[in-house]
Amino acid sequence: MHPAAADPSRRLCFGMAAAGLGWMALPAGIALAAEAEVKPAAQRDLRDWLALVQEASRRRSYTGTFVVMSAGGTLSSSRIWHACDGDQQFERVEALSGPQRSTFRHNDRVVTFFPEERVARFERRETLNLFPNLLQSNGAALPEHYEARVAGSQRVAGFDAHVVDIRPRDHLRFGYRIWSEKRTGLVMKLQTLDSHGTVLEQAAFSELAIDVPIKIDRMVRMMEDTAGYRIEKVEPPKTTPEQEGWTAAAAPVAGFTAMDCYRRPARAPRPGASGAMQCVFSDGLASVSLFLEPYDAAQPPKEQALAVGATHTLGMRLDGPWWLTAMGEVPQQTLRAFAGRFVRTR
Amino acid sequence: MQQPLDDRIESGMNKRETVSALADGQLCGEAFAQAVRWALDDAEGRQAWRDHHVVGDLLRSTDLASRRDGDAFVARLRERLAQEPAIRPVVVQEPVVAELPPLAVARDSANASVFRWKIAAGCASLAAVAALAWTAAGPLLQEERSRPQLAAVPASSSANPGMVAVANADGQMVIRDPRLDELLMAHRQFGAASALQMPAGFLRNATFEEAGR
Repeated sequence: MHPAAADPSRRLCFGMAAAGLGWMALPAGIALAAEAEVKPAAQRDLRDWLALVQEASRRRSYTGTFVVMSAGGTLSSSRIWHACDGDQQFERVEALSGPQRSTFRHNDRVVTFFPEERVARFERRETLNLFPNLLQSNGAALPEHYEARVAGSQRVAGFDAHVVDIRPRDHLRFGYRIWSEKRTGLVMKLQTLDSHGTVLEQAAFSELAIDVPIKIDRMVRMMEDTAGYRIEKVEPPKTTPEQEGWTAAAAPVAGFTAMDCYRRPARAPRPGASGAMQCVFSDGLASVSLFLEPYDAAQPPKEQALAVGATHTLGMRLDGPWWLTAMGEVPQQTLRAFAGRFVRTR
Repeated sequence: MQQPLDDRIESGMNKRETVSALADGQLCGEAFAQAVRWALDDAEGRQAWRDHHVVGDLLRSTDLASRRDGDAFVARLRERLAQEPAIRPVVVQEPVVAELPPLAVARDSANASVFRWKIAAGCASLAAVAALAWTAAGPLLQEERSRPQLAAVPASSSANPGMVAVANADGQMVIRDPRLDELLMAHRQFGAASALQMPAGFLRNATFEEAGR
């Protein structure tokens, strides 16, 4: 196939063939993002912006300090490193506040080390792999519920960024404001806003360096070094509501599609926390988890409605000895709308 | 003009000052020529020239300095200082400055190699961010009005041990239980399906984990 050429040109041929195959294997999001990049900022719609910010985080290596602030006054920060190698994504998060912990991620595999307790927790976060495919499939629904508008530019952590307002079209969800770095599209800052425009939560890079070389093999070695740590694997089995004895009663809350259901393990030492079913719903930007479990009539949990940053929670009794805990980055009224979602079949 | 300069050069006290002025390029014309002649011809002049440059090199480079008799040197210096005529300090009216602005000089600080100082500097900058955020969060808290009322658990029924109080979005302290924390964690791990997950969502979840896992 290849002529008997000198080594350099043969390598070049192989390289081009590999690049060609690699190009086909890359997620479809690149096509979306490339399309979005070509458009001037003012003309990009919601899907363009989301594709752009998605691809930016998959294509760039960066390191910096990330700060999360909630309206309740809590402030947490962490030092982060993100590296990519083709399609492989690597991340390291060192929490600077709260209990000491280091989180490592390789694609959808996440390992969190808790040095004080000598525990290493292994998880598989499948939702991280969903995009940009979800964007493709659910893409049509997103613009029905949100609209995006450029609201100017600002500097964040030394970079010029477009400020994009993402407004919900109804009162069932929150709005967002993202600061997308002009050159790469990377999200520098993200605010979650309620219907009055109040900032419920803000997450931003206080310092950032983009396109810096990061040693991936060192990160992988740190991730796999579990010597002296007790390993905890958190992989609840997937299930369906039907299997757990529930049927969908009401129509789904507008815009939210059912994602996965998990059967959570019962933690024997803690009475009352027997295995719950977790059902996840998402409208593309906001997600809601419904936890359904039996409750101990002798020690009933308290009905409650709380907010932790942008995450709202609702705990209430269902017909029969069943307890629902709904939580998500949505207003309380949306959580209430979810309450009638499932009824018991058996 | 010549005569006063010659007088200056002749008087031993000012010879070294003349050499210094010559080295600093402050002399010109006849004075320059005379000073050069003196520095070349006169033995004392040559010594003064050499001393001037050795001292300059020592001051500019720590490598050349011999530290062997440091203590003796300091002792000798003190003696010499004591012998100098006392100078009455001149009182100058200075404006009272509460705090000096930081010098914008880009050079390695003396404690750059000490790791502990780097940590302290990091903590200080984090505290600055926290202070700024606190100032920013202040007006945010005040702006909240007519939000849907969040039910707060009455304090009388909070006898349950193991409950953790946390501030909710309205700034009220509400009791939260460890079970809820567990579910919150599960929501963050498995329920985070958002187009904004990368990087902000994932990092936010990894950063925003509360105490008591």
